[in-house]
Amino acid sequence: MKTILISLLFGLTAISAMAQMPSVVLEDHKGEAFNTADLLDEKTPMIISFWSTICKPCIRELDAINDVLPDWLDEAEFRVVAVSTDDSRFTTKARSLAEGHGWYDFINLYDTNQEFMRAMSVSVTPQVYVLDGNGKIVYSHTGYTPGSEEELIEVIKGL
Amino acid sequence: MKTTVKISAVALLLQIAAGLPLSAGNGEKETPKGYLKGSFETNTTWYHKDDRTNATVPEEHWGSNNYLKLDYYRGKFSAGMQLEAYEPVLVGYPVELDKIGLTNLYAAWQDENFGITAGSFYDQFGSGLLFRSWEDRALGLNNALFGARFTYQYKDIVSFKAIWGVPRFGMEYTDTQVKGADLSVAVSNLFNWTDVYLALEGSALDKYESLSVDLEESGAKSNNFGWSGRLNLEASGFFFKGEYVDAGNKYYNNPFIQTSADPAYLIKKGNAQLVELGYNGHGLGLNVTARRLEWMDSKILADNTSTSNMLNYVPAMCTQYTYLLTTLHPYTSRTGDLSGRFVNSGEIGGQVDVFYNFRRGTALGGKRGTKLHANFSTYYTLAHEGSAKAGNLLYRDVSVDVEKQWTRKFKMTLLWSMQAYSPSYGANASLYLSNIAVADLLYKFTSKFSTRLELQYLTTKEDKKDWMAALLELNFAPNWSIYGSDMINHGDTGTHYYNVGVSYARSRTRFSLGYGRYKAGYICSGGVCRPIPAYTGANFTVTTSF
Repeated sequence: MKTILISLLFGLTAISAMAQMPSVVLEDHKGEAFNTADLLDEKTPMIISFWSTICKPCIRELDAINDVLPDWLDEAEFRVVAVSTDDSRFTTKARSLAEGHGWYDFINLYDTNQEFMRAMSVSVTPQVYVLDGNGKIVYSHTGYTPGSEEELIEVIKGL
Repeated sequence: MKTTVKISAVALLLQIAAGLPLSAGNGEKETPKGYLKGSFETNTTWYHKDDRTNATVPEEHWGSNNYLKLDYYRGKFSAGMQLEAYEPVLVGYPVELDKIGLTNLYAAWQDENFGITAGSFYDQFGSGLLFRSWEDRALGLNNALFGARFTYQYKDIVSFKAIWGVPRFGMEYTDTQVKGADLSVAVSNLFNWTDVYLALEGSALDKYESLSVDLEESGAKSNNFGWSGRLNLEASGFFFKGEYVDAGNKYYNNPFIQTSADPAYLIKKGNAQLVELGYNGHGLGLNVTARRLEWMDSKILADNTSTSNMLNYVPAMCTQYTYLLTTLHPYTSRTGDLSGRFVNSGEIGGQVDVFYNFRRGTALGGKRGTKLHANFSTYYTLAHEGSAKAGNLLYRDVSVDVEKQWTRKFKMTLLWSMQAYSPSYGANASLYLSNIAVADLLYKFTSKFSTRLELQYLTTKEDKKDWMAALLELNFAPNWSIYGSDMINHGDTGTHYYNVGVSYARSRTRFSLGYGRYKAGYICSGGVCRPIPAYTGANFTVTTSF
């Protein structure tokens, strides 16, 4: 059974190189419904970062991106989408935290029952992706170590 | 057996649905290709004996929780499954998670304004107080429904969903049936108000469960109906959310039985009120929560005490900490206690959260800005059944944390928290009070190499007296991280709870290996906690997604 599972896993990894972003409805900063398909405009790449109020490394990563964002935007055009995976109890806290951390230039989305998280197959946070303008995932990274955010801008510049 | 039949039915449906886009695409020049996404996770621990903490050691010395999830997307169609294997389940997890099983399977069609799902799905109504089905692997919880869901969206005005299904408990789907509907109307969008967002929402839920003779004789009904009404308002950064929940009847074992004529169960009416309001703008994030709960324990199975036997979401509404010493006594919400002579019908309380960003260039912001966060949370028992008067204090926490980037290389976070909790869950007025201080210092030596040091101290006159802890982390971006930590109860037992570990992350895969001694306590996720016994051992985790 285990052997079958492992070979299945590797087989699937090989054919899924073209993975994209599924369309899921979640909430924007006001609490209004927001379809992830609306993020795609066929030209602008984006960074998508999954975070939560109790994930310290996630907040560190988004703060680090926020600090260097003005410089990065001089080098390339892209958007940053911060997806809070907090349950309903902490959605308001997540909104307040985004404000109190000055994440004004991010597109802040709230995935209160983790539907987008599941659709993107995220099982642990921090999880960050870079998508090209067509919504194809070109880079992803699990976990955050200070400095690893540098890879994001390099990938975007290479698009 | 029953589950197998249901799963084969969906497998058939899945095959039929999968065939649809193929035939539909024949006339087109370009058939859009489908794509597959998935993830795999293993969390495996080897346990060994530890007399110092009286650590739990399972018979095989091993525990391993494994999850494989696959989803296929093709245009508007998607289908997926989840395979879980507990070989055997990790210590402290719900014991009904056992062996291997194809636990979740679904097929779905998402059109522009409507969606249909057949098979396993997760959903919630409002804040989840009335109904929530979700997965939380840290808790060992998965109460997905197996059945059908229909969703409909009319412009940005009306959202409607209807659900029917049987909830999952452990590795099986139960015989309990859940039917429900949820409607949200964005009134402001209907009338084209531009400065205000106003939505009125409501839900209804019916649960059917065949009852035991004792329950029937106590007057319980197989069908239980609940509903909720909600209001969401947002204008220029100010927001207000209100929710009222009538959760229907709940059945509790009668602790006052004296004669055989007394009912075996007492019937209680579940209800809850939740208000959230605040303001976000100009670098200030402020929110206030007030909540009252009464008999809000919604179970999938009437006579089962497992921590994963739940059909609604009643989280602790207070700060959830991550630093070692701040998590020794986490708060869990009280949904009603009826045992012995102690009756507490629920909980009342609230919290205030303030986040503020002192901008760069201001006196307190300095060159790189300063971030401030403060929280006050307080919760009481209900003085009387049916009242909104506060009884004994259950939990109170005051905390402040400041985050400051001093130089490009050095970042400091300081946290202070004063926690008071009732060890008797409010049965009497006695409290344990502790003060906790944490310094979290991050230093970046180069753009790739950084260290993080945590120093923590807890002081209290009660329980096990003072504790201290330290953690050192060495980070080699973007792949490697090594850490070591120790937590000592120097005020009483002198026991060291040490921990060392290493992790490696590359692309979508992360490996981690750790060894340590863990104290008995609670694992909390999303404001819901499960108790864990003390254990010592080595842990290996792999998570990967594609």
